[in-house]
Amino acid sequence: MDLALNKAAARVVIDAQLSDAGSVQRIRLSRSVGFDDPINTSGIKGATVSVKDNENRNYSFQYEKDGYYIHRNFKPLAGRTYTLHVDVQKQQYSATCQMPAYVAVESTNISEKNLAGENYFFAALTFKDPAKISNYYIYTLSTNGGPFRFARAESDQFNDGLKVTHYITDQEKDLSRGDTITVRRYCVDQKTYQYWNEYQSNNLSNAAPSNPKSNISNNALGYFSVAAAKEYQLQIGR
Amino acid sequence: MSSIISYFLPISIVLSPFLASAQDALLSGTVRDSVTQKPLIGAIITIKGGIGTTTNLQGHYQITLPSGIQQLTVSYMGYRSQITTVELRQALEKSFALQPLTNRMDEVLVSAKEKGEAIDAPQMSTTHLTMKDMKDVPVLFGEKDLVKTIQLLPGVQSGGEGSANFHVRGGDGGQNLILLDQATVYNASHLLGFFSTFNSDAIKDVQLYKGGIPAQFGGRISSVLDVSMLDGNKKQFSGEGGLGIVASRLKLEGPIVKDKSSFLFSARRSYADSFLKLAKSKDMDKNSLYFYDLNAKLSFNLGKKTNLYLSGYHGKDRLKYNDLFHLFWGNTTATARLNHLFNDKISSNTSLIYSGFNYQSGVSSEQIDFQVASNIRNVNAKQDFSYYANINNTIRLGVSALAQSIRPANLSSDKNQSVNPTAIESQRGIDLGGYISHEWKATTNLSLQYGIHVHDFMVLGRRTFYQFDKNGNPVSEKRDNSRIAKHYINLEPRLSASLRLDERSSLKASYNRIVQNLHQLTNTTASLPTDQYVLSSLQIKPQRVDQAVLGYFRTSTDKQYDFSVEAYYKRLGNQIDVRNGATLQANAYFEGELLFGIGRAYGLEGYLRKNSGRLKGWISYTLSKSRRKFNGINAGNWFNARQDRTHDLAVVANYALSDSWTLSGTFVFNTGNAVTFPSGKYLVNGKSMFYYTERNGYRMPDYHRLDLSATYDPNKNGKRFHSSWTIGLYNAYNRKNAYTIDFRENKANPNLTEAYKIVLFGIIPSVTWNFKF
Repeated sequence: MDLALNKAAARVVIDAQLSDAGSVQRIRLSRSVGFDDPINTSGIKGATVSVKDNENRNYSFQYEKDGYYIHRNFKPLAGRTYTLHVDVQKQQYSATCQMPAYVAVESTNISEKNLAGENYFFAALTFKDPAKISNYYIYTLSTNGGPFRFARAESDQFNDGLKVTHYITDQEKDLSRGDTITVRRYCVDQKTYQYWNEYQSNNLSNAAPSNPKSNISNNALGYFSVAAAKEYQLQIGR
Repeated sequence: MSSIISYFLPISIVLSPFLASAQDALLSGTVRDSVTQKPLIGAIITIKGGIGTTTNLQGHYQITLPSGIQQLTVSYMGYRSQITTVELRQALEKSFALQPLTNRMDEVLVSAKEKGEAIDAPQMSTTHLTMKDMKDVPVLFGEKDLVKTIQLLPGVQSGGEGSANFHVRGGDGGQNLILLDQATVYNASHLLGFFSTFNSDAIKDVQLYKGGIPAQFGGRISSVLDVSMLDGNKKQFSGEGGLGIVASRLKLEGPIVKDKSSFLFSARRSYADSFLKLAKSKDMDKNSLYFYDLNAKLSFNLGKKTNLYLSGYHGKDRLKYNDLFHLFWGNTTATARLNHLFNDKISSNTSLIYSGFNYQSGVSSEQIDFQVASNIRNVNAKQDFSYYANINNTIRLGVSALAQSIRPANLSSDKNQSVNPTAIESQRGIDLGGYISHEWKATTNLSLQYGIHVHDFMVLGRRTFYQFDKNGNPVSEKRDNSRIAKHYINLEPRLSASLRLDERSSLKASYNRIVQNLHQLTNTTASLPTDQYVLSSLQIKPQRVDQAVLGYFRTSTDKQYDFSVEAYYKRLGNQIDVRNGATLQANAYFEGELLFGIGRAYGLEGYLRKNSGRLKGWISYTLSKSRRKFNGINAGNWFNARQDRTHDLAVVANYALSDSWTLSGTFVFNTGNAVTFPSGKYLVNGKSMFYYTERNGYRMPDYHRLDLSATYDPNKNGKRFHSSWTIGLYNAYNRKNAYTIDFRENKANPNLTEAYKIVLFGIIPSVTWNFKF
């Protein structure tokens, strides 16, 4: 259906999910666009992007293309606190995040569930949640080598210290037999969880959707997170 | 405390008119249906010369008249009027039994004289509906429903397509006090909101107060919906029922001891899965989706001046999907009321009332197994007195003690311990209240009704209270071991006045303040049984409203038409909203998820009603605005409440085609609700995220709909068994009204996004067969 939506003034978007899954870290800068416009694929050039840890190590990110600023030799460590500094046309943006430790997964498998007469596939990851501390998890998913997309945010609010299984699926495209999927599991801080939990609460029945609360200063959209992460590859049997 | 004295001072001054002249004598009595012996509410007693009165909720009337011979006319819509002459020397009791009219056309003629807006009475912003008024309004699935009917009145909005939730004058759904025989009904909807809990068979009548709310009511800031259950027939046994496409009903009533006591029992059950096809699943027998409700009432006449009424309601909804998921919820109410007439002037009602609501939901599978359960209940003891001093003065006063408890949603786990059981402390409160009001016909043209409602809401202690920072994170926790942790004492002045301009028109004005200590928290568009209730606490202050209303009322010479226009302004304090992504269930820190703000609502309502003739019905129109302001929402700027609409129009018409055929139609038009849509988008972590700039800054598309129905009622006189058919069309021209609008990535090009709408109901036919014996 056609809907006349206002076109809001563009805002800076910072997409900065760092992790210890590899030593190449990517931060993307872009601007928001009008609802009916194609998504901004070219990004922001000419910004300065750096991350500093609490022991004053400084990691300077280099622009490559499409708004991506990359550091090719930076593997963050759990327990350290990292601060992001971004400078776009003399506007300063910053954010801080303490990297949590990884919570090991004990087993993975594919789970098939029947919901309202249809069968759906989920990646099931089982682990023991560490007791007496708050743990937060987010998952991204790639199907058959495609791009990773956010899939699910979880917390241990109701199952602290228990053996827990998280069920992960692609929310936009159902998984089917024969698919190879890669699940990237991030152990994140509370603010990162809150960001994605607010995002996943913006569903149809929500009375008043709003922008997820960013941990970045100066009114930027997006978030900065340094997480402990691992990837799991699974295949859905035919 | 000086403010208390200043409130009571005027009352002592106005007691002086009660020293009525010695030549007057009091006439009192009861007006009943001659067949069923049910008291008739609102029957009109007039004497030659014009003055008169109406019967109260017990069918009782009192009128002080000059001594001597008086000619009385007693009339009631749908009944044959009686004209009697009495000789008054001293107080006299005279009761009447009116004969019901069986012929429809007679009924129409008679009602022409009797119905009509009470232009003299100070009460405004109120509508009284009987089941007769609701009978011919076409509704979804043919289930006649009093809540759907009141949604067609000015200032009352439906909570959504097909919803039994409603908003009054810009207020929220949780701000309506819904009473069934004085007992609070916490969640008045079935099947996730498509039906109300009120089985039309068991309902006598309903009074809706939107403004100038009388002093005897309190506790919710938007409205009072006062529903009375029917009394059983004291003369003969009878039954009534119906078969519809969604539900079936059966009612039985009759005397226990003839003329002394009666019973009424009514039941309704919907058919599993009949309208929401969850299905496709192999094991259908494990799925269920239905509701039932039961109403019962016993009435006992304990001597000439004392009546005892016992009534109750129990209803349950069961939604179950396989063994995987279930959601059950229901209300239970019970009322015992002892009505006593001490003498000609003083009547008393002593009531003991219980009401409760609970829900339980659960998920059960190999991997995960847990249940969430919550309940809310209250016990209320009330004593009310009415003192009919003379024709110009009535005093009402009463006291009540209400104990309220809420067991918040708790989490329990049975099988494989996939969750930690979580028990959140219960919240308990006691509300001690009292009121006094005086209805006073000060001069021939000026009538007043004023009073005060006082209450002390006590937040009970012996529980833990938390404090939060501005982001809602707990910063301190304190165990309160005192019996009472906090008193919220509030004085609520109420005032209504009517100034008669001439025989047929009047100006009315009113003001009321009301506070609310029970709050319904919701962060969804639909009102769900899983909405959380909370009591005022150290963190949550009582909600408050101040409302002022001004109105003009006019009735035509023959009382065939009534017209009114009312303008209202409301100021709302301590309004509550919920943070985005909030967890309200099984969360000890849920108060940190709440935001507090203010609101205002104003509007203009027009109402034109035709009471009699072959064509009956009404037109209602509302022009309104409802806004809110919260720190932390919309950058602290004012925004439209979701239920804010500019225009609301309803046209309701019934046409008696012949003795046996009635045609009915309803047309509604309203501006779309205020809604939050994105004004941009951006990409994060592979997702197209929507960029929102303003809360409720957009509008849903305009909503309009026509419903039609036809009733064939052969109504052969003399036969004991009698039945009728009603066929209906909901949304007759199949308008695709948007229930909700959502956004998604374009399938072909994920760089593009698109809007799409979800339509709940297109054209829906229905047929209902009703019978009586």
